[in-house]
Amino acid sequence: METWRLITSWGTPPEFNMGLDGALLEDADAPPTMRFYSWTPPALSLGYFQRFDEVPAASEAFVVVRRITGGGAIHHTNELTFSISASLDHPLFEGPVTRSYTRLHDMVCEALSNAGCEPALRGDSALLSDVEDTGMCFHHSTPLDIAWEGRKGVGSAQRRRNGRVLHHGSIKLGSSQYDTGVAELEGLEDPAEVAQMIVEVFRERAGIRLQPGVPTHAERMRADELGERAIDPDFVRRR
Amino acid sequence: MRPDDRNYLPSHEWVKIEEQTATIGITDFAVDELCSGNEGDLVYCDLPELGRVVDAGETFGEIESVKAVSDLNSPVSGEVVEVNSEIEDHLEILSDDPWDRGWLIRVKLSQEKMSELLDVLAYEALIAEKE
Repeated sequence: METWRLITSWGTPPEFNMGLDGALLEDADAPPTMRFYSWTPPALSLGYFQRFDEVPAASEAFVVVRRITGGGAIHHTNELTFSISASLDHPLFEGPVTRSYTRLHDMVCEALSNAGCEPALRGDSALLSDVEDTGMCFHHSTPLDIAWEGRKGVGSAQRRRNGRVLHHGSIKLGSSQYDTGVAELEGLEDPAEVAQMIVEVFRERAGIRLQPGVPTHAERMRADELGERAIDPDFVRRR
Repeated sequence: MRPDDRNYLPSHEWVKIEEQTATIGITDFAVDELCSGNEGDLVYCDLPELGRVVDAGETFGEIESVKAVSDLNSPVSGEVVEVNSEIEDHLEILSDDPWDRGWLIRVKLSQEKMSELLDVLAYEALIAEKE
């Protein structure tokens, strides 16, 4: 059975969350790593190329960071964030971007179905949660997005650099003032419960054992640097 | 067969060197990886300012598809002397003609230092392994 590193951090600061993901993407020597985390304080993350002024919530949110992954903005509250950093040669990620999403989302769907909902890839139909001009990730959907009850349930984006990939995922456990009208996991309040469902599917479906671990010293040092950039107002408002 | 008048990086950029100027773009394989044949999936391309100095192996720009942002790596070192301004508004050019109209930047070579470049046969072999 293949073993990946699992790094879990509940209620960690926005700059730490973003900085560590960036460090794991850069670390060519790092093993495939799954992270599960939540945010304290809650924060809004902008997609790498989003214009600050095109996301009305960015002007209202208490804390705003900019991700290195693309896509739309996400309000990180009442949610589970997960990230995977790995080599692009890994069987889960090799080939076209769309194929990597299909493989990964099949497993996420299976995990979420154990949480009591009926998730599926959106396909060709628009969703009830689609809303124009908010700039929010959950208000814009594509065929590969995961949805249930006609609403988007998982936000996702990737960054690819130097033969490595960082995949971001966001699963809503409750409401957010900015991510309105989206799918939520009812009856689950603890993101750790959802994380455990994903851990089990990775083991059973992909033969990947997620072994609890911690960042290396070098990764933590780099995470500090990249975290400072992620929350720096000049970077947040760079576009 | 892809063009044999240029060299390639394993990260799927191409470079065509004529005298002291290098023209740089990305290959059809790179485009397909990003958008799987759906050219509308390419949403944004960020290219450098004129005059910027890039090093071989350094990121000179970024391209976003619907589901991923990818770095664009320079195969050579030098100063950016021309940018294909048509690309940012017409990303479909990268799907239609990645080898000619789809060039991204031109660099005036500053030194002989280059990334390890592949000829077309080596690049084709690399692609064959992935397909």
